[in-house]
Amino acid sequence: MGQFKYRKFVSPILVLLIWQGISAYGIVPNWFLPIPTEVLKTLVGMMMSGEVPHHTLISLGRAVSGYLLAAVVGIALGLLIAWSTLIEDFFDPLIELIRPLSTFALIPIFFLWFGIGNTSKILIIFKSCFFPIVINTIAGIKGVDSKLIMAAQSLGANGFQLWTRVLLPSALPMIITGLRISTAIAMMALVGVEMLSSDSGLGFLVIDAQRTFDTERVFAGIGILSILGFSLDKLARYIQSKVLAWHSETSLGGGM
Amino acid sequence: MLIDACNIRKVFNGRKDKQETVAISDLSLGIERNEFVAIVGPSGCGKSTFLLMVAGLEKPSAGTLTIEGLPIKGPGVHRSIVFQEYLLFPWRTVEGNIEFGPRMRKVSKDDCRAGSRDLIELMGLKGFEDCYPHELSGGMRQRVAIARALANKPEVLLMDEPFGALDALTRESMQLELQNIWLKTRCTVLFVTHSISEAVFLADRVVVMSKRPGIIKEEILIDLERPRTREMHTTKEFRDYEAHLEGIVWEEVN
Ligand SMILES: Nc1ncnc2c1ncn2[C@@H]1O[C@H](COP(=O)(O)OP(=O)(O)OP(=O)(O)O)[C@@H](O)[C@H]1O
Ligand SMILES: [Mg+2]
Repeated sequence: MGQFKYRKFVSPILVLLIWQGISAYGIVPNWFLPIPTEVLKTLVGMMMSGEVPHHTLISLGRAVSGYLLAAVVGIALGLLIAWSTLIEDFFDPLIELIRPLSTFALIPIFFLWFGIGNTSKILIIFKSCFFPIVINTIAGIKGVDSKLIMAAQSLGANGFQLWTRVLLPSALPMIITGLRISTAIAMMALVGVEMLSSDSGLGFLVIDAQRTFDTERVFAGIGILSILGFSLDKLARYIQSKVLAWHSETSLGGGM
Repeated sequence: MLIDACNIRKVFNGRKDKQETVAISDLSLGIERNEFVAIVGPSGCGKSTFLLMVAGLEKPSAGTLTIEGLPIKGPGVHRSIVFQEYLLFPWRTVEGNIEFGPRMRKVSKDDCRAGSRDLIELMGLKGFEDCYPHELSGGMRQRVAIARALANKPEVLLMDEPFGALDALTRESMQLELQNIWLKTRCTVLFVTHSISEAVFLADRVVVMSKRPGIIKEEILIDLERPRTREMHTTKEFRDYEAHLEGIVWEEVN
């Protein structure tokens, strides 16, 4: 990572200032666009009352469960598919048919089959995270330079060692990219499904505030979601840069 | 005869629409145990392809290729290859790359480490043990690739333009180093190079290949005493070998 850049704070602060000006001087009504400082006050209040931590934990629990399930199943199936054309020919049509389907189109069926509790929420997050992970895993393994495999073979690596010592490390950047893309997708699916049907979680918090026309709470909820998404992506980037220390910096999208 | 190639032909089937490429049409070559053979020839004549076949990484389309009388069926740890493209493992450090072969063969960690220390010293890579390949210059990567091949203590060493990325001075000292290793270990070396002077300096026998599809055009025994020294470059015998080979290669290129 490059050094800390103050320049990067200019645009967010400017937007906040203009927003503050527009809303505080009554140019637009406050039920339409609340005053940032008031939103902040509401947010602090919601933090202190324990409301935000409560819903955040519930949301995170769902997102993490769905995500981890997708990571484990996605990587395992991806490796199997890359390993055997028989398995590939079996699963490939299924993947190609289900993948383009909008996750939200499946929600009614999931609710029907698994009820409207946590199970279907976790499965919906799983569905939306699974495909980027499985597809990146397959592409990562298949994209390994065949000559690199030759080099390992000539140095004495056997079939199993080829997988653990060459194919996996070589595909790791792609696999991790898939995992990282999915963190953002998990958040999106989470909020969507919590808005549709839930009595808890951050998505519920936002939609519930909207139903009572409490715009400040709506904005506070969105603020929390935005911070959460941002922090998760930072965390994912950090893990990526640790695991892929050998990878040249530029291709990590880090640095300057 | 340690390695015997008899009427080798190698055809690559291109992708669907592309026609096939005949890389080698009819190549016969015998290599004695402990011999140092250099191969020169125009670009694309099938030198790398031949080396890959001896390494057991490509199969001949026709003809027989044997080692100690047995057909070469696949790679063997006693045949090491230094690839033209280095092909280092980017996720392993210099040390990790050099230790790769012994580790795959379940040599103990301490022995691996001791072996790689010696090779790092020998190849002038000291201080770079913990660097990843992308942090090294081309010449250093090449030296890591050589060290990695030597780590398996090969009986047959296949080298594909191993000094191509080195500057003239490093190149000369590496040639001397390779000669020392060869004199000490007495392994069999098959060495591809574009430098005729390098071929004459190192080899017992220089093989000239014709342009694609490759066949052996000429073989010349280099009868210069060992160990060879830098000063020999300027002797009349050396110059004559060079001039003769240059004439043959030049005919091929045009
Ligand atoms: N895997 C492959 N698939 C298709 N064609 C190939 C393959 N490998 C080599 N060839 C073709 O075979 C021919 C010989 O290639 P090779 O790499 O052996 O040449 P070379 O003598 O090593 O050349 P250079 O001196 O430039 O390294 C070339 O025409 C090349 O295009
Ligand atoms: Mg070549």
